[in-house]
Amino acid sequence: MSDARSTILSAIRAALGRRRGGSAMADEVTIAAEAEHLRARADATRPDRLRGGAENAFLERLVSPAVAATAERVASLSDFPAAVRRYLTAQGLASSVALQPHPDLLALDWSGIETHGQIGIDEPVAVGLALGAIAETGTLVFHSGPTSPTLFAFFPTHHIVAVETGRIWNWLEDYADAFAGCAQPRNVNLITGASGTTDIEGTLVRGAHGPGWLHVVLFGSAAPSPDRPVATDPPHFTSLDNVK
Amino acid sequence: MLQDSSRESAGGPCVGLFVSCLVDAMRPAIGFAAINLLEAAGCRVEVPLQQTCCGQPALNSGDLAGARQIAQHTIALLEPFQYVVVPSGSCAATIRVHYTELFHEDPVWRARAEALAARTHELLSFLVDIRGWLPKQVALPASATYHDSCSGLRELGIHAQPRRLLAAVEGLSLRPLEGNATCCGFGGMFCVKYAAISNAIVAEKAQSIEATGAELLLGGDLGCLMNLAGKLHRCGSRVRVFHTAEILAGMGDGPAIGEAT
Amino acid sequence: MSGARERLSFDARVRDALADPLLKVAIDRTTGNARTKRAAAMAAWPGFSSARELGRDIKDHVIAHLDHYLVQFERNARASGAQVHWALSGPEACDIVVAICRKAGARTVTRSKSMLGEEIGLPHALQEAAIERVETDLAEHIIQLAGDPPSHIIWPALHKTREQVAELFHAHHHDPGTLDSIEAMVASARRELRGRYLAADVGISGANFLIADTGAVCTVTNEGNAELTTTPPRVHIVTAGIEKLVPSCAHAMAMLRLLVRSATGAELTQYTTFHCGPKRAGDLDGPAEFHIVLIDGGRTRMLAEGLAEMLRCIRCGACLNHCVVYRQIGGHAYGSVYPGPMGSVLTPMLDGLPQSKDLPRACTLNGQCQEVCPVAIPLPTLLRGWRDRIWSTGLESVTVRQGFAVWRFLALHPALYRQASAMAVWMMAWFARGGWIARMPLAGGWTRYRDMPRPPRRPFIAQYRRRMPRP
Repeated sequence: MSDARSTILSAIRAALGRRRGGSAMADEVTIAAEAEHLRARADATRPDRLRGGAENAFLERLVSPAVAATAERVASLSDFPAAVRRYLTAQGLASSVALQPHPDLLALDWSGIETHGQIGIDEPVAVGLALGAIAETGTLVFHSGPTSPTLFAFFPTHHIVAVETGRIWNWLEDYADAFAGCAQPRNVNLITGASGTTDIEGTLVRGAHGPGWLHVVLFGSAAPSPDRPVATDPPHFTSLDNVK
Repeated sequence: MLQDSSRESAGGPCVGLFVSCLVDAMRPAIGFAAINLLEAAGCRVEVPLQQTCCGQPALNSGDLAGARQIAQHTIALLEPFQYVVVPSGSCAATIRVHYTELFHEDPVWRARAEALAARTHELLSFLVDIRGWLPKQVALPASATYHDSCSGLRELGIHAQPRRLLAAVEGLSLRPLEGNATCCGFGGMFCVKYAAISNAIVAEKAQSIEATGAELLLGGDLGCLMNLAGKLHRCGSRVRVFHTAEILAGMGDGPAIGEAT
Repeated sequence: MSGARERLSFDARVRDALADPLLKVAIDRTTGNARTKRAAAMAAWPGFSSARELGRDIKDHVIAHLDHYLVQFERNARASGAQVHWALSGPEACDIVVAICRKAGARTVTRSKSMLGEEIGLPHALQEAAIERVETDLAEHIIQLAGDPPSHIIWPALHKTREQVAELFHAHHHDPGTLDSIEAMVASARRELRGRYLAADVGISGANFLIADTGAVCTVTNEGNAELTTTPPRVHIVTAGIEKLVPSCAHAMAMLRLLVRSATGAELTQYTTFHCGPKRAGDLDGPAEFHIVLIDGGRTRMLAEGLAEMLRCIRCGACLNHCVVYRQIGGHAYGSVYPGPMGSVLTPMLDGLPQSKDLPRACTLNGQCQEVCPVAIPLPTLLRGWRDRIWSTGLESVTVRQGFAVWRFLALHPALYRQASAMAVWMMAWFARGGWIARMPLAGGWTRYRDMPRPPRRPFIAQYRRRMPRP
């Protein structure tokens, strides 16, 4: 095994050495500077679509046919259980949900809904809290951990997710930058719409193996306004401890 | 290496016309149309009589040594001219793009290849981009559709020029062709070596051409046009096929490819 | 094996493909959809051309410092608790995977689609080891039921029409229901596979990107099957090519924009997951063991032998969808794991040039593959490179070589060339009826399928000499 390692690395160095024409290998600082320069170039290549502000852009993207989630806004997280009740009624679903074991969710008043902490593989509905969202693509961000098991986002048929408006990053790279240099969770799940497949004749069908429906409840913003400026100070977490 | 200035002072640039081996053997009308057009665009045209083939078949078959020898012959033949013009996108691309690659380890020939490449142009793009010329008083009351040959399109960026030229032909209406930038399946040796695949590609292309309802199919590369004309004729289509240069030179009322003279 | 037999087998595969009318229907439906959606995505993204240059430069940067990034990735992956293995070849990688499965006492593994897994022959190796393999990607599930190899790198079951899929599911699924729509087929597969995720002992996935500065492995799927494959089992094994590295998560994001739009026309797949190490203290789910097998499998040879640009490939499949040859013959005719233009570059390296010399030649060099490639791989140039090698290593037939030698001699001797071409057009005219030649000796490849226009009485140069006598 270690033989394969050294053989592969030697073969790479020999081939690169020949390509470099014998000049010395770049040092780590030079490589890092080159990588940083490449990273910076990405900013100019991004699709331009944040004119209405990160929050509006996120919602617009989220409910677009390409992502096809549903969404609503509420004033604060305490309004989330009512939103869940509305969704269950509208969809004709039983009032029983798997509740992601997040302290902020557990602290809410779920009266009228049976909640449980265990999730089954055929769970009809799971209710969760996203770490944040990305406006560019209408993406929800989850970091796995004791309060956020991965499978809550994959087992249920309906996934209802709360996300705070102050935690919407503009661009994919903004999310990446926010956690650069931090300890990584076991799983980062970027979720963009309900599960789907194009495997039969390239036709998109929802509800392949993951959820068939994704409903997002955005909380913590003032009344929606189309001319809300682009968030100039996107959320930045210096360590995972700051994440609720 | 440029030809002497006395030649140019006689009026307009001196152009060496390299007709391509296919035009030489199969469709001389394109060569004569090219001479007419270049003269109309104010050029003095010379046809170097020692020309044969640009070497593309060898290049595409991996015979690099053979391709180099033929390239050297062609470079030496064509370098006296101020411009070299070729009525074929793929042969022009061979000289413009691939000759320099052939000599990447030979500085002397590479320099000669680069110098020639810089002065070599495909006919239709030369007329528009270099000479700023458009046809006047050419009329052809007909409907046509256009196939963009791949080498010209992707290696030389020829797309707008033929359309601008054809738009100046009175009475000619151009109909859009579904998949106009999709290969016709010619591919040089490919079309005989992998004939069944090539046939499947060109059969589909012929259907798209038929579906336009146009009377004429036009293009800028005889290899593709022979492939398309041959398939259309085999399928019983009445679509007539011409090189764009023939139409621009007012030869659109003459025999199309495959029509007996 | 003799060259002639190989040639025959490629021709035979092509013949079968072209004779199958359903195959063409299936190819047109999926690749047509893919081309339309990709075109729409690119039209809505003015930054594509600069993003493409960036994608190319990121990959080139990584390849230029591949040793550095591999070591950095390994260090960070180990720090996250992953076990990192290295394999020189496909068989060696399979041995490592099978050994991990055996140590875990695995009877059943679930697998999330990975072309590298196909490349190294993992399905076969698991079968040899008597370990049950459950493919969870819908397309892989379809071809597992059909017993077919994949025919496309994004849509492995592209060769199946919806009607054929319905038939398969009827025959194999426990509760197929009425399979009268694609929705119903997807639902049936969901029911069929649901129970298998929890029963698996090991989950195996590939990697779309390896993140050097965190040691994370990025996978992208639309179905969610990757996470269902890799989260419940006790062991998660990743097989990854050593070229999959990117410096950081932010670089991966720039690459994802290119990858997903080029593959399906979407902006991001439904699920983009970064897997970093095994289950942590307090985690409620996740594998207890996380293994990453880094595989060379000819990649260092590509680096050394002029194919470094091919290491940029992010396996989006756009070159397949836009290839006129692929669109006629489909994936199986290529006879290799990777079909289409990218496959025709890779296969001679992976399987050997003598066995696959038809692939670089069965191409019109039209350049559309390069035009759509999100990392600007000069595919036609690389295919020409193989043609050069076919010629220089004597794999071209003697007849062709002799034919070229005669033609080259003539091309270098214009006077003889003039005589020869005059004679050729004179002889061709013999076979003409009216303006066309419908059949002619030595031109069967042409005249079998199309007519040949009758050549003129004299070639251009001869006519020009007569008309315009030089002073």
